[in-house]
Amino acid sequence: MGRKIANIQLSEEYEGVLRKEQRSFMTGNEVVAWAALAAKADFMYGYPITPQNEIMHYWARLAPHFGRGFLQTEDEMSAGFAMLGGALVGKKTFSATAGPGNVLMQEPISMAEMMRIPGVWIIQQRGGPSTATVIYSQQELRLTTTGGNGEGLRIVYSTASHQELFEYTIKAFNTAWQYRFPTFVLGDGYQAKMREAVTLFRPEARGWRLIPAEPILRPPGVPARDRDPVHLRNTFNIEEELYDRLVDQLAAYDRMTAEVIEWEAEVSPETELLLVAHGIVARAAKQAQENLNRQGKKVGYFRPITVRPFPGSALRQAVAANPNLRLLVVESAHGQLLALVKAELYGFTNPLDSLLRPGVGITAEEIEEAVTQHGQKEAVS
Amino acid sequence: MPENKRWKIIIAGEGGQGVQSIGELLAEAAFRSGKQALYIPNFGVEQRGGVSVAYVQIADGAIGAPKFQKADLLAVLSKRAAERTKGYLRPGSIYLYDQSALQALAIDDRSIGIQGYETVAPEGFAQMVGAETESPLEPPAKDQVRALGIPAAQVAKGELTTRVFNIIVLGAIVRLIQDLSLPQVEAAIEQKFREKFRSNPELRALNLQALTKGLAMVPVPTA
Repeated sequence: MGRKIANIQLSEEYEGVLRKEQRSFMTGNEVVAWAALAAKADFMYGYPITPQNEIMHYWARLAPHFGRGFLQTEDEMSAGFAMLGGALVGKKTFSATAGPGNVLMQEPISMAEMMRIPGVWIIQQRGGPSTATVIYSQQELRLTTTGGNGEGLRIVYSTASHQELFEYTIKAFNTAWQYRFPTFVLGDGYQAKMREAVTLFRPEARGWRLIPAEPILRPPGVPARDRDPVHLRNTFNIEEELYDRLVDQLAAYDRMTAEVIEWEAEVSPETELLLVAHGIVARAAKQAQENLNRQGKKVGYFRPITVRPFPGSALRQAVAANPNLRLLVVESAHGQLLALVKAELYGFTNPLDSLLRPGVGITAEEIEEAVTQHGQKEAVS
Repeated sequence: MPENKRWKIIIAGEGGQGVQSIGELLAEAAFRSGKQALYIPNFGVEQRGGVSVAYVQIADGAIGAPKFQKADLLAVLSKRAAERTKGYLRPGSIYLYDQSALQALAIDDRSIGIQGYETVAPEGFAQMVGAETESPLEPPAKDQVRALGIPAAQVAKGELTTRVFNIIVLGAIVRLIQDLSLPQVEAAIEQKFREKFRSNPELRALNLQALTKGLAMVPVPTA
C-alpha cells in the first residue's frame, strides 16, 4: 500500500523556501503544509473535505520534492488507521480533516489512545451537525477533545493565527512522539482560508529539537534476547486487565499535563470582567478587551491554548484573585467551551455569562456590545 | 488612512465578477507594502454564483478578528450585492460603486448548491458580465456615506476587456487607500496571474492598463 518514498532530487525552488526564515503571506492551509514539512513529517494520509482540502493539495505538491509521501485513502477511517500503521513502523504521520470527517476519524483515534500510537491531526472546524456548512464553527471542540469511546487521552492545541498554526503544528509532532498520545491542532475554516502574514522557519535554526520517530512495532534487536518483545494490545479479556491498563495511562496523562498545558491570561486584582475564549474567537476577545480597556473598563482576558488538557489551574488562579470577578465565555458553539470552564470552576460562585453563536463567526464589536449589556444571569455552579 | 490607521474593507459583487481576486490582491499588496493585512473570503457553495463578499483589513498594528461589523470602505459591484451588504455601512463609510448602466449577470440564489448544468463556471461567467444594460446602481443618501461612482464595467467592456473589470475596481480602491506602494500592487498582480501571463502576455498589459484606469477614476485627495 502507498507508493515508494524515493530520494527525489530536491528542486531549487522548494528547497530555497525554508533555508532561511521567510516572511510570507498565505492561507492557513498552506501554512500547515509547510509546518508539516518543517517538522519532518514523513507521510500524510487523508480524504478530501472542505475546508481542509488545500492542506492535502499543498502537501501532495510539496512532498515529492522532499522525499515525503501522501496517500488518499477511501475515507477518513482508513486514513486514520493507515496513519497508525505508518507510526508503528517509525514514520511521522499526520492527517487533516473536518466535520463529518472528524467524526469518522474518531475510531482510529480511539485505537491510537488505547495503544499509545502517536499521530498528528489537523482539524479545520466547519459548521455542524452533519454536513451543515463548509465554512466555520467551533463546534468540534467536544469531539476533538473527548470524542471516541474512551477517556479523551489526547492533547489539543487551539490556534488563533497563522504563526501559531505553523509553530503548534511543529510542536504537535514533538508532543505526539514524546508522550505518545494523539495530538491535534484545532483550527477552523476561517484560519484555513484566510490569508495573513507568517514567518516560516526551520525549527532547528531556532534551536528547537525535533523528536525523531522510532519504529514501535519492530524496533532493532532480537526480541527476548536484545530487548523485551513488543506487545501492543487493543483487546482485553477481563475488566481488571483493562482497568489496570487505564490506571497506568491516566497516570501518564496526568504526569504529562503540567508539562504541556498552555494558556494566555491578562488579569489583575482590579479586573472586573474576564473574557474567556479559545481559537480565532480569542482574537476578537483580545481586540474587544483592548478597546474596552481604552474606554476605562476593567476587562481581562483568558485563553486556553491547550483545550485538552485544559489549563484549569491557571483559570482557577485568575478567578480566585477576585471573588467578584465576572466571566463572559465567548464561542462559536452552543456551550462547548462553557461546559469546560464550568467544570474547572466547580465550587466558585463568580457570576458567569456567555455569548454563544454556534456556527457563525464572532467579531470584536459583538463582544463589546455583549459586555456593555452584560447582566448577571447565572453563577458558575 | 483613517485616524486609527486601520482600514476595514468589504468588496461585494456577483460570483464571477472577480471580487475575491480584488480582496486577495489588495491584501497581498498591503503585505508587500509593509502593512499588516488580513483577507478572508466568504466561501461555500456560492462559488458558482450568488453574492460574493471579500473582507480585507489593512493596518499598521495587529489585526484581531478576521471579520467585522462596519466597513470603512465598501465596494459594491452589483445591485444585489449592494442590498446584501448595506448593513456594513456606518456614517462616513466610503461607498465605492460601479455606476455603469450594465447588468451584472446574477445567478438565482435558489439554484445555488444544485450544481446543475445551468450554472456557469467562473471563467465563463466573467465574459458574460456586462452583456445587458440596466439602470445603474444608486448609492445611499449623501448624508449617510461618502459615495463615489466609477464607470468600471463600461470602461472594461468598451476600452479593455470585461475580464479586467475587477482590476479597474482594485485601482480605484488602491487610490482611495493612498499609502499602498503601486509597484507592490503590480507585483501582487504579477504573482497571482504569472501562469496566465506566461501563456497570454497580452493579458499583462491589459491588467496594468486596467489598474491605471482605475487609479485615475478616483480624484486625488487633497492633503
